[in-house]
Amino acid sequence: MRIVNPSFGVAPAGAEQTIIGKVNWNEDPIVLFANNKPNARELLEGVRAKLGAMRRIDNVDYIHKNSASQPAPGAMIEAVAQKYRAALLALGD
Amino acid sequence: MTDQSEAEVIEISELGPEDWTEYAIEQGWSDGFPLVAPTEAAVERFVSVCRGDNEPFPPISPRQVVPTLHSLAANAVMAGCRPEYFPVLLAALRGVLTPDYNLHGTLATTHPCAPMILVNGPLRDRLGINYGGNCFGQGWRANATIGRALGLILLNVGGAKPGVMDRSTQGSPAKFAFCFGENEEASPWPPYHVRRGFDTADSVVTVMSGEGPHNINDHASTTGEGLLTTMAASIAQPGANTIYGKGPHVVAIGPEHAATLHRDGWTIPALQQALFERARVRVSDVSPENQVQYEESGHHPVDGRYPVSPTPEDIHILVAGGPGKHSAWIPSFGGTAVCSVRVRLPD
Repeated sequence: MRIVNPSFGVAPAGAEQTIIGKVNWNEDPIVLFANNKPNARELLEGVRAKLGAMRRIDNVDYIHKNSASQPAPGAMIEAVAQKYRAALLALGD
Repeated sequence: MTDQSEAEVIEISELGPEDWTEYAIEQGWSDGFPLVAPTEAAVERFVSVCRGDNEPFPPISPRQVVPTLHSLAANAVMAGCRPEYFPVLLAALRGVLTPDYNLHGTLATTHPCAPMILVNGPLRDRLGINYGGNCFGQGWRANATIGRALGLILLNVGGAKPGVMDRSTQGSPAKFAFCFGENEEASPWPPYHVRRGFDTADSVVTVMSGEGPHNINDHASTTGEGLLTTMAASIAQPGANTIYGKGPHVVAIGPEHAATLHRDGWTIPALQQALFERARVRVSDVSPENQVQYEESGHHPVDGRYPVSPTPEDIHILVAGGPGKHSAWIPSFGGTAVCSVRVRLPD
């Protein structure tokens, strides 16, 4: 019995993934990225405080997108990718 | 383009209908209901209806893969569609793939939104799309299977698996199927798609990421003014996403309510303006914590009440349903847009 795969799709051109090296969580610059939902900042501030116990935090920054319901602008994602080695995302309330 | 390491055609052992359904559910292809097997022959009957529709589809979120006409048709077959429904389904898909619709956000959100599919034009009757009594409910194959097929596409090609990438807190029955037509014949106003700039002879699919319909019951009012009072109060809800004042919503007026409003001289723009001004949430109905959050996000009350629409034009008014004194309000996800696409029919 031959069926057509209902999940079939092809990756769009230019969708190749880049492999990055291991993140040094004690040293590398990190961004705390909030989705702008209520209390996201408070959650991330708690994460930042915990990070402070294990590393310096002058290179741990906080940013947020402008709307919880809209995707982050491409330029914002690109800027984050250029400046930081890792991003911790607040995805919920 | 790179293959996703899956074959478009799969060879499986011969299965009867019951075993097939068990197999398909194990693959994660179902919305919970039994499915029709998408055999090559069945899929080909659907694809042949859309020969000539060569405009490629963009990647479907959240999985971000580009579908083929065959993989889309496979989902239509599984949903129980007839081949002639396929152009309507493709128009609905192109609608939700419009960037302003914000498909990724609407699928990944905790909000219980579903893709609402509204059909206008001659295809409603040709395909048997219900726009009269019980148009939001069960009993019509086209309504049920076109809505279901779009959900299956978003699940199987898009990867919006409930609990994984579909993060809805409670979901909604509307996620199974939410497709209906406008009752143009019973509407005292021009059809919705004509007001959107399409021709009367066009068949048009309009999509919005919305909650299921909220009933607006008004049996006693005998004037348009009375009906508007009920409608505005029904729309002014502090617990709907429209409280943020950022998104569109649909008001599907029942034919009897529409006749009363029209008799009293209400036009569509006048109704939009009236609902824009009157359907507002009192500050006293909003918790102090939410008031702080709305203030921080720049959403301010006007004369002690929060607007629930950015503009009057964000209130999309149409006529749907049969006899009875009911209308419906369909609030949107908020961060979305109402998108209309003309159905492409084979030459």
